[in-house]
Amino acid sequence: MIILFLVSGLFLGWSLGANDAANVFGSAVGSKMVTFRKAAIIASVFVILGAVIQGSGASDTLGKLGSVNAIGGSFTVALAAGITVYLMTKFALPVSTTQAIVGAIIGWNLFTGNPTDSRALTQIVSTWVSGPLLGAVFAIVLYIILKTIKKNSSIHLVRFESYIRTGLVIAGAFGAYSLGANNIANVVGVFIPAFHLKPLDLGIFTLSSHQQLFLLGSMAIAAGILTYSNRVMEKVGNNIMQLSSEAALVVVLAQALVLFIFSSTGFSSFVERTGLPPVPMVPVSGTQVAIGSIMGIGLYKGAGNINFRILGEIAVGWVLTPLFSGVLTFFSLFFVKNIFGIDTGRKTEGTVDPAIQNIQAVQTDPRISEIMHYLLPGLLIAGMAAVILYYFLERKKKKEFRKSEERFWRNLK
Amino acid sequence: MAVFTRTTKNLILKIDEFFDNIDLGLLVFREGVKAYLEKDMETFNRHIQKVELLESNADKLQRSIENEMITHSILPQHKGEVSSLIDVLDEIIDTIKSSLNEFSIELPDIPASLAHNFISITEASVSAGEELIPAARAYFKSPYTVREKLLKVYYFESETDKIARKTTRIIFQEMKELDLAHKAHLRYIIHHIENISDNAQKAADLLSTMAIKIVM
Repeated sequence: MIILFLVSGLFLGWSLGANDAANVFGSAVGSKMVTFRKAAIIASVFVILGAVIQGSGASDTLGKLGSVNAIGGSFTVALAAGITVYLMTKFALPVSTTQAIVGAIIGWNLFTGNPTDSRALTQIVSTWVSGPLLGAVFAIVLYIILKTIKKNSSIHLVRFESYIRTGLVIAGAFGAYSLGANNIANVVGVFIPAFHLKPLDLGIFTLSSHQQLFLLGSMAIAAGILTYSNRVMEKVGNNIMQLSSEAALVVVLAQALVLFIFSSTGFSSFVERTGLPPVPMVPVSGTQVAIGSIMGIGLYKGAGNINFRILGEIAVGWVLTPLFSGVLTFFSLFFVKNIFGIDTGRKTEGTVDPAIQNIQAVQTDPRISEIMHYLLPGLLIAGMAAVILYYFLERKKKKEFRKSEERFWRNLK
Repeated sequence: MAVFTRTTKNLILKIDEFFDNIDLGLLVFREGVKAYLEKDMETFNRHIQKVELLESNADKLQRSIENEMITHSILPQHKGEVSSLIDVLDEIIDTIKSSLNEFSIELPDIPASLAHNFISITEASVSAGEELIPAARAYFKSPYTVREKLLKVYYFESETDKIARKTTRIIFQEMKELDLAHKAHLRYIIHHIENISDNAQKAADLLSTMAIKIVM
């Protein structure tokens, strides 16, 4: 049953992959510098790595906003957020999964009568503004640097583009890693109190309970990227403004940097050591940062380059997302609780929540760990096999083309 | 990554070789016309063979460059324009080949008094093409300098027009001893030599917009 509940989180992960992750490579794919398939594979691999290695930072802040204390509640919150993101993605609106999950948690807080931590909320909402702004600033600075390099060096255009392409792949991989680290909290964060699994020994390293959840969630994100992110990638890449190859690189790099800043505890403590306030560990919307970066370049080149109608549509999506997600969660919780009779959570009294303790006691089921021990390595092996198969198929296709070219010239002679 | 670097290097070499072919073709055309006017048919025929070889090589390179750009998705945003540029440049060498062939097949009877005019038209027309090649190379290496290099192309194109107009006027208004068919034939040959600079101008127009786009 608990695995069934987790499906809603995986659905949200899938939606995040289809939507937010699309932004990492959106500009690269939109500018046709990287093919969708290549981008999807790289993004999938690095999202998984980021989530497993560095995923825990941002999940704490989301937990502070509202600690969903029943598995039925976690299921409904994740499902409502997932449906919201899916619907927005269906209409090719690049929305933020962070906004959807924040809206859903607030919906849960309202339904159960729990207070919303205004400090955490302010921290999260402030990144909705600071994220895109920081993205725009980074984008402008990086764009100026890149343009200066291009102007002052006599690199052949073909070679320059090949450097840009390599840069796009590396920056995209870094962006996907940061996205995995930063946004995995959105996907499985609400399930963390409910799952306490036995450590999974994979030979080279051991995955803790959290990491197993993060791995499963990130695989769902990867599935979303591979199956449904194509449309949003095209939208981000082309519709706001026509991106040149170097602008595409700048957008990917700026986005990766912003996401990294908001999910790296190491960077935050470094900032703190210099006497500045620490950087909050908050799940930032990749969508907003990408759009902020594109706007930054657009403004630098002249506002006439920006398609403001599309920007307006996206802004409407930003307002609608948390609102729709919150309302949907509120009503869904009502149905789940009163019609299906499932516990959706209760009001938290005092510092120690007995409900959470209760969940933890119930959920440490060895059978779930057993399932995970087979499921996760199985999925990992299947994924790796698919990547290797793709690589060889591509190589074969290229070889055949080369042969047909040689045949053509031989026949012509 | 090594495979990709090799592809990039190959493509750069092919683009350079393509430009070399056009450049050589222009040179051979100039020498070919001079040889014809000097009635040195052996040298002229050797030049025709050379141009045919260069033209066929240019065609092969053109196809190869376009294929590589598509299959390896190189220069995705400039692919169409670079293909058009190569296409227009290829038209130059096609024109060179067909013009020399016309000399060879039709054996136009060019009066000795007009030999100097024909050499001048050829020189000016070929110069327009020759000035285009550095500009086309600059598009790939220093796009900021393309426009200044193109100025000479426009200059030589207009020079070609002027000399051609002047020569045609001499043919039709001053050379009463020539019959109309002869005059028309000479005008036709002049028109074909002029085509080289016209194609160069077409390529220059294209390059000019391409350079703006890449610099912006």
